[in-house]
Amino acid sequence: MNLNRIRYMFGESWIMLNRRLGAAVISVFIMGLSLLILVIFLLLTLNIAVMIDRASEELRIFVYIEDGIGRDRSQEIQLSLLGMNGVEEVVFVSKSEALTTFKEALGEESDLLDALERNPLPDAYKLKMQHDMMRSDELERLAGQIEEWDGVEEVRYGEKWFERGEKFVKGFYVVDLVLGLIIFLSVIFVISNTVRLTILYRRKTIDVVKLVGAPSSYIRMPFIIEGAIQGIVAALLALGLGFLVYYFAHRYFPGITFFQLEAALLFVLFCAVLGAVVSYMAMRRFIRI
Amino acid sequence: MNQDKRIIVGVYHLNKKLGKHFSLEDINLQVANGEFVFLVGPSGAGKSTLLRLLYMDNMPDSGQIVVGPYISTRIKRNTVPSLRRMVGIVFQDFRLIEDRTVFENVALALKVTGAGMREIKRQVTDILTRVALYHKRYEFPPALSGGEQQRVAIARAVVNRPAVLLADEPTGNLDPTATKNVLELLFKVNAGGTAVLMATHDIDLVRSFGQRIIYLEEGRLVRDKEMIYTGDLRERIDDSRVSKRAERMKDLDITGGKGE
Ligand SMILES: Nc1ncnc2c1ncn2[C@@H]1O[C@H](COP(=O)(O)OP(=O)(O)OP(=O)(O)O)[C@@H](O)[C@H]1O
Ligand SMILES: [Mg+2]
Repeated sequence: MNLNRIRYMFGESWIMLNRRLGAAVISVFIMGLSLLILVIFLLLTLNIAVMIDRASEELRIFVYIEDGIGRDRSQEIQLSLLGMNGVEEVVFVSKSEALTTFKEALGEESDLLDALERNPLPDAYKLKMQHDMMRSDELERLAGQIEEWDGVEEVRYGEKWFERGEKFVKGFYVVDLVLGLIIFLSVIFVISNTVRLTILYRRKTIDVVKLVGAPSSYIRMPFIIEGAIQGIVAALLALGLGFLVYYFAHRYFPGITFFQLEAALLFVLFCAVLGAVVSYMAMRRFIRI
Repeated sequence: MNQDKRIIVGVYHLNKKLGKHFSLEDINLQVANGEFVFLVGPSGAGKSTLLRLLYMDNMPDSGQIVVGPYISTRIKRNTVPSLRRMVGIVFQDFRLIEDRTVFENVALALKVTGAGMREIKRQVTDILTRVALYHKRYEFPPALSGGEQQRVAIARAVVNRPAVLLADEPTGNLDPTATKNVLELLFKVNAGGTAVLMATHDIDLVRSFGQRIIYLEEGRLVRDKEMIYTGDLRERIDDSRVSKRAERMKDLDITGGKGE
């Protein structure tokens, strides 16, 4: 790779983009808009995934302790819980704390509880699990194991809700994946057609460059670079518009997030590669010598 | 061996079938270094086809084509570009890139060889001056007359000093004045040592120059210079006038012609 060659390749791409700036702008715009659909889809997926993650993050397993087993046994249980695989955090919830929480939850109706002579709620340990343990089979196995222990009355984690939630999440991801694939393919279709038009217009240029004896890399590279540049600009456009969408949606859904910088950069890189590959494929037919 | 060295283009027992109805049949011809040859024949005779085979845009069905060191039966696809660089090519329709200036169009032929900017500028300036178009270097082709466009195309074809210039009906779209200019330019290029092979269907245009003329009809080479392959053309083609140029060309004639 000598300097003249590199200069030639970038220079040619620059000339090609520059001399037909109007057309280049239009095709980048078309690519950008179709990528915007992909961006919005990815944003939705991201935010739903974040929501799901948060929900499972908040899930706790309650290990209820039998009344009157004594402080020592209770502490033994706590230590055993801490020692278990997949348990991240163990918090003691005394029966009085539980009652307060319960009262708060009842609100106005909490007067009813004043009628009680003594607190009917048991002491409990609240377990926070590691992320990878958040599967109904793992939780079930764990709960079953703990329930066997002496002094443990019951283990609860909203099994029914959890299982339903898990099914929903699985279903969501399947639908999401299929939808994503369809959108992705449509985007590729739109982009490759746009790029193909550009290259069709350049047919004469390709013929001339062939005629004057350009090696095939000299013929291809400017187009590949042109495709990559268009991909990058279109990706930035899509991300910019996507950010606007996010910005306005944020007013109504303050909890939502935008892509991390790394993810955004990866998207741009991906679009650059996509533009280059599509451009290469589109021109392959024309450069057979 | 010594004689081989002087042959820049050789065609040996070339056969090429195109479609159902046309084929080039057993073409044999040699062009020496620095020679000027007209390839004449009616429309559809196969002139363009033959030229395309010479710059290996198309390959023979059988037989062999030798251009400089390149041999059609042995050339690899990725060496075809090197062949193209020792062969300048000019067409009836100019084939200039419309959204590039005259300068850029000519420069392209040097750029693809990996030449540096200074070198490019020097050479392009030089060749544009010689085709008298330096003052139009910043114009775009559509702003030029046909004759001017063809001169730009010739400048592009010869800027990297090819050994051979192939011209396919280069005057086909031009009026008499522009035709004369382009022909003069081709002679000038030839005087600089480049062999020129120019295809045309216009016998009247070329017969007064006294250059070697090759006749092609229905895919067959019917006459090369004064050698008549088929008798029935004798009446039609009567160009036994000898010019000074032809005299000079005799030294280069390696076809075995007996002179005129
Ligand atoms: N790709 C092809 N497939 C089939 N037939 C072809 C093809 N290219 C050319 N031909 C035929 O080959 C014949 C010779 O064509 P060619 O272009 O070489 O003629 P020519 O001598 O250059 O004519 P002109 O003076 O009109 O340019 C024509 O009959 C043409 O129809
Ligand atoms: Mg022709």
